[in-house]
Amino acid sequence: MASCSSCCQHVATPGVGGFAAASRRETRAAGVQVVGAGRLQLKKGAVCGEELFRGQSLQGLQRRVRRSGGSVAVSANALAAQLQEERAEKPSEARVILEVQGLRAVVADTRQEILNGVDLVIREGEVHAIMGKNGSGKSTLSKVLVGHPDYEVTGGTAMFKGENLFDKEPEERSHCGLFLSFQSPVEIPGVSNMDFLRMACNARRKARSLEELGPLEFYGFVAEKLGALNMDPKFLDRNVNEGFSGGEKKRNEILQLSVLEADMAILDEIDSGLDIDALRDVATAVVGLKKENNAILMITHYQRLLDYITPTYVHIMEEGRIVKTGDMSLASQLEAGGYNAVQNLIAKN
Amino acid sequence: MAMAVAAVGAAVAMAGTLRQSAVAPLRVKAVVPAVRFRGAVKLGVGTRASVAGAVKAEESGSGSGSLRDQAEASFSLSKDVAGPDFFILDLAEKLENSVEAEQQGETLGSRALANLRDRSAEKALNSRWPTSKDEAYRFTDVRFLKNLDISPTPTHSVATPDFASGLGLDETETFRLVFVDGVISESLSKVDGLADGAYVGSICKISAENAGSSLSQALEHLGKPAAGTQDDLFTFLNGLGVQDAGVIFAPEGVHIAKPIHVVYYSTGRGGSKHGEEGGTAISLASPRLLVVAETGARVEIIEQFVGAPDQTYWTNTVCEIHIADGAEVSHSCSQEQDRGSVHIKQTQVSQGEKSTYKLVEAEIGGRLSRHNLQVIQLGPETQTEFSTFSLSSQRQVQDLHSRLVLNHPRGISRQLHKCIVTHRSGQAVFDGNVKVNRYAQQTDAGQLSRSLLLAQGATVNVKPNLQIIADDVKCTHGAAISDLEEDQLFYFQARGIDALTARSALVFSFAADVLQSLGNDSLQKRLEGLVKSSLASDGVVNPNVPVGL
Ligand SMILES: Nc1ncnc2c1ncn2[C@@H]1O[C@H](COP(=O)(O)OP(=O)(O)OP(=O)(O)O)[C@@H](O)[C@H]1O
Ligand SMILES: [Mg+2]
Repeated sequence: MASCSSCCQHVATPGVGGFAAASRRETRAAGVQVVGAGRLQLKKGAVCGEELFRGQSLQGLQRRVRRSGGSVAVSANALAAQLQEERAEKPSEARVILEVQGLRAVVADTRQEILNGVDLVIREGEVHAIMGKNGSGKSTLSKVLVGHPDYEVTGGTAMFKGENLFDKEPEERSHCGLFLSFQSPVEIPGVSNMDFLRMACNARRKARSLEELGPLEFYGFVAEKLGALNMDPKFLDRNVNEGFSGGEKKRNEILQLSVLEADMAILDEIDSGLDIDALRDVATAVVGLKKENNAILMITHYQRLLDYITPTYVHIMEEGRIVKTGDMSLASQLEAGGYNAVQNLIAKN
Repeated sequence: MAMAVAAVGAAVAMAGTLRQSAVAPLRVKAVVPAVRFRGAVKLGVGTRASVAGAVKAEESGSGSGSLRDQAEASFSLSKDVAGPDFFILDLAEKLENSVEAEQQGETLGSRALANLRDRSAEKALNSRWPTSKDEAYRFTDVRFLKNLDISPTPTHSVATPDFASGLGLDETETFRLVFVDGVISESLSKVDGLADGAYVGSICKISAENAGSSLSQALEHLGKPAAGTQDDLFTFLNGLGVQDAGVIFAPEGVHIAKPIHVVYYSTGRGGSKHGEEGGTAISLASPRLLVVAETGARVEIIEQFVGAPDQTYWTNTVCEIHIADGAEVSHSCSQEQDRGSVHIKQTQVSQGEKSTYKLVEAEIGGRLSRHNLQVIQLGPETQTEFSTFSLSSQRQVQDLHSRLVLNHPRGISRQLHKCIVTHRSGQAVFDGNVKVNRYAQQTDAGQLSRSLLLAQGATVNVKPNLQIIADDVKCTHGAAISDLEEDQLFYFQARGIDALTARSALVFSFAADVLQSLGNDSLQKRLEGLVKSSLASDGVVNPNVPVGL
C-alpha cells in the first residue's frame, strides 16, 4: 500500500535528509493514507521512460503546491484528492511495488559518486532487467536499496510498497519483503546454513506476527524448498557459503529467497558462474517463485537468463543512471551489437 | 542485553607492524630471514638455562645429596653471578620431597621417571623465574606465582573424586586414561580392548618383563624432545615434580580404533578455597604424558583438563609426542579448568617423514593459561595443522606460544589461531613462530591469527613471526585484530536478522569456526556450550540465539 509520504518528500526537498524527515513526520500527523504516485504515472502508458517523465511533472506540480504557500500537510491533502480521483479512472492497473526517483549515492568513505539520479518504477507482476557495462553502478543500486552501509544516499527517494526505504534499517527492509541476491555472497564460517535460514525465516515470520518455526517444523519447510531447487540437503549442514562453489552460492541465495518468500527480489547476476544445468534449475526456481503480486529485478550481462524469465522491461544503466528502457528486444540488440550499438541508438534519440 | 562490542579503545599491542586483515601471501627469495618482525628474536625461553649450562651434567642418582647442595655446587661453577634463585630452590625441594618412596619403584618405567626427575632437577636449579624482561614472558605475568604459597598436591590415597560422569564424553566411544593430581587412577581409566602391542597406561606399570622391546625403546623418549626444542623453567619443574606419567604407545602400523581420552583432574587439595580470607595457598600437580606413534601408526588423543570447583590449583603439565615416519596423530585439547586456577602446559612434538600432526585446542579456563607448543620436523613432507581458540573473560590471561621448526623439504603447515577477549581485565597473548630453515625448500606454510576484542580496554598481544631462510617457499600470514566483519553483519541484516542477533551469532561463530574442527561431536557440543554460556554471562552474546548446539 502506498502512502503519499513520497510526494511529500519531493515537495519538501528532494534529497536533503533533514527536511525530508521533518515533512514525513508532518504527513503522518496529518494521517493521510492515499495511493502512491505510481498509479498516477501509469496513466500515460506502459513505457517506463514516460512514466519517469510523468513522475517529474508530478514533482513539479508538488513544488508548485508548496510554493503556493500551503504547508506540507495541506499539499499532501490536495494531492491525495487528486490521486484518489485518478485511481478511480484506472482500477485495473497493478500496484507499484518499488519506485525509485532521482536516486543519488556516494561511497561513504571516499564520497565518490556512483549513482547519479536513478529512476525506476516496478509494479506487481512485472519482471525488470538491468543491463550495463561493468562498473556502471548496477550492484551499487541494488545494495543501496537494501541499505548497505558502504554507501550514503545523497539524493532522491525509494519507496517500497508505499513506504520510504531509507527510513528503515536493512533488516526492516527485508521484513517488508525486499530481497537482494548478492553478486558475491559472503562466507560465514561457524554458522550453519540451517541455523542461518531458520533465523532469517523466523525473523520475517515474527515481523508478520506469525509463529516462529522450531527446528523440526523448519526442516520440513525447507526440505521442500531444497527439492524445488535440486539442492542436496547436506547444504543445510554446511556453514553459510563457506567453501561453496560460485554456482552453489547462487543456488543458496535463491534458497534464501524462497524461504523468505519475498515480494520483490533483486537478483544481482544470479546467472554468472552457473553451468547450463544450474542456470536452468535456478531460472526454473525463480519462475516458480514468480506470482501475480510480486516482482523481480534482475541484473545480468547476458540474454540467456532472460530467455528463461522474460522481462517486462529491460533497462540500460550507464554511469549511475538508467539511460534507456525498452523491452526484450533491447537485450537482443545488446547481445548482437554490444553497448556501442545501443549507445548510438541513445544518441539518435 | 548490555552488549559491549566496540573494539574502539581496546588496548592493542602488536610486536609486528601488520594490522591488515588481509592475508598477504609472501613469496620470499632471500637468504637472510626475510620476514622478521620487530622483536621477533629467537625465543628466549630457557636461554638462561643454557647459559648456566656450563655446569657439568652430573648423573646423579636418586640417592645423591640434597638439592640445595647440588644447586650450590652448580652455581659455584656457574658464570651466573646472580646466584641461584632461592624461590625455585625452595619449590624444587618441596617437589622432590613430594615424591613418595614407593613411587621411586623398581620397574623399567619407574626408573625412567626417576631419571627424568634427576635431570630436571639440575636444569630447574640453573633456571631463573621468568620476568617480563624475558622475551617469551614479555606480555605474560608469571611473577604473581612467587607471591603464592605453592605446595605439591598430596597424592596419598584419598577417595577418588566423582567427576567422570560430568566430562561430556561417552565412555564407550573412547579409551580413557585418567590422572588425578598428576597420578593415573587405575579405577577411573578404561583401556580394555586395545590392539596387540599397543599400550595406554601408567609408565610405572611398564616393566622389563611385560614390555616388548619396542615399548621399552619408546620410553627412551621420555624427557628427551627432538633437538631444537626449547625448554623452559616450567618443563623442568614438571620433570622434577612428576609422580607418574601416562604412556600412549601405538606400535608400527597399528591404527588405534578409538580415540584415547586423557582426563586431567586437579583436586586442589591443600590449596585455598576461593574467597578464603588471606588464602594464598595453591596446590601444584605435575602430570605428564608421553605419546609414541611408530611408523605408519595412527592415534587420536583427546586431552581434557578439569578440576574441582572453587579450589586454587596449578596444573603444570608436559605432553611429549613422537610421531615416526608416515604416522598420524590427531590431538584435541580442551582446557576447562577453574577460573581461579593456573594452567601451564608444554606440548613437544617431533614429526618424522610424511607424518601428520593435527591439533585442535580450546583454552577457556584458568586465571593464567600458558601453552608452549613446539613442533620439530625430522623428515620431509610432513603435515602440521594447528587450530586453536582461546577465550579470556574477567581476569583471565590466555597465552599461546607456538613454534614450528621446518628443517626438511616439502612440509605443509596450516595454523589458525583465534581469540576473544570479553572483559577489560582479560588478556590474550599469541606468539606464533614459524621457522623455515635452509633445507626446508618448497615448504608451504600458512598462518592466520584473528583476535576479537569485545570490551573497552581489553588487551591482546599478538606476535606472528615467520623466519624464512630457505629461498623457495610459500608462506602466508595474516593477523587481524578486529571487530566483527561488516560484510558478514550486513548479510545477516539483509536477511532480516537484527544487528544484535547478528552480532551474537557472529561472535559465537568466531569461536565455533575452530571448535567445529574438533573430531569429536560430544566434545564439540560441550565446548560450544561452555563458550556460549561464558559469552552470554559476559553479555556479549544473546544466549537465545539459535546457532550451534
Ligand atoms: N564500496 C565501494 N568502494 C569504492 N568503490 C566502489 C564501491 N562500490 C562500488 N564502487 C565503484 O563503483 C562503481 C560501480 O560499481 P558496481 O559494483 O555498482 O558496478 P556494476 O555495474 O555492478 O559492475 P559489474 O557488472 O562489474 O558487476 C565501480 O567503479 C566500483 O569500483
Ligand atoms: Mg555488479
